[in-house]
Amino acid sequence: MQRKIIQIFGVVWTLIYASFIVWIYATEPRSFKEVATNSQVAVGTYEVNQERFSNGLALFRRDQFRAARDEWAAADPAQKDPRTQFYVAYAWYREGWGRVYYDNAFFKQGLEAVNRAINLAPNGMLTVDDPDLQMHTAAELKTELEQGTETSWKDLNPLKLFRQRK
Amino acid sequence: MKDYTDRNRALLHFIITPTILLTVALLGGLRVDAQTRQFVFIAPPLVTLVLAILLGALFVRAGAIDLRQWLALEQPMLTNLAHLLTLLALFFASAQAFNSVLPENGLLHWMFSFFFLWTLWTNQFSAFDGRRLLKSLIVMFSTAFVLKHLLVSGLYAPEGGWFRRIASALLQGIAIDVPAFAPITGYVSFFALALYVAGLLLIGPVPVQLGATRVNKLAVREDALAKSSDQLSE
Repeated sequence: MQRKIIQIFGVVWTLIYASFIVWIYATEPRSFKEVATNSQVAVGTYEVNQERFSNGLALFRRDQFRAARDEWAAADPAQKDPRTQFYVAYAWYREGWGRVYYDNAFFKQGLEAVNRAINLAPNGMLTVDDPDLQMHTAAELKTELEQGTETSWKDLNPLKLFRQRK
Repeated sequence: MKDYTDRNRALLHFIITPTILLTVALLGGLRVDAQTRQFVFIAPPLVTLVLAILLGALFVRAGAIDLRQWLALEQPMLTNLAHLLTLLALFFASAQAFNSVLPENGLLHWMFSFFFLWTLWTNQFSAFDGRRLLKSLIVMFSTAFVLKHLLVSGLYAPEGGWFRRIASALLQGIAIDVPAFAPITGYVSFFALALYVAGLLLIGPVPVQLGATRVNKLAVREDALAKSSDQLSE
């Protein structure tokens, strides 16, 4: 009987350990901390650090976008929270926005972040009720970022000097 | 007394051996970046899977593993399943052991792969027994380890010495692309290879016959030895 128990335990343990190895190679964590974060995501206990998120928001409202993004990166290290990723994208948008021209590299990073937010949101719909923002949905922000990266004749319109940052 | 022996054998056979082999599978692809000190997990390249298949064939041909004893219709399903998992763990451990000593890319990757393929292919037609095969594998992996983690990594280390100067003079104009990894990568690889050899030592040609009397066990082993000697004489 004891032998059978050991055999069953051995089979179960081997399968669990093998799954763990496959998961490690699939997620490719870069540190032990990331292993812990990925484990939290896998078991569904992952949560955004609210304090750091609020710090990031305060920095964002003072137009300190890089510092805000650093705070949000620490608040959501696994990049699994749609709202945080929406704000990260917004920070890239505001930092890349210019009256004369847009910074393409910043807008592209913003697009990556907003796409992450859309993919993470239920049904791909994300709305953020923040009165300080002029765009409240991920779809609006994505359109704005996409238009910013496209080149067209409209770019030569001198009236664009009067446009407003959203 | 007998209960303890049987229980310990079962623990070794069904838990410790697969754990050791799977640990090799985990560590074989682990590297640590020289600059950022971050983990880099390199999944086994296709060539290492081919090498692992060749090595598996060699294990069977040399009688180091008697498949008919490991997987048999007469055995309970649970035992067969446990044995199958151990053999799969051995396969992936072999692939990752090769991954651990193969340079990651460039000319050296293909040169090392070619030498491994050549060695394993020619060994398929040599007369081997389990013990000689194990010795041969230890020498092969040790050589590859020394070449990769001592010579090649030393050659491309930022603070490389006289050996680097000689090699760069000899290999002038030949681009050999070797990614820079932290020295701890060598230690991880060494540990993985040591575990692999330990795993090979624990895996016998015939799985442990739990609860069998000494006479029965000797009969089974004798049978396996006779079969492997028949194979060799063929």
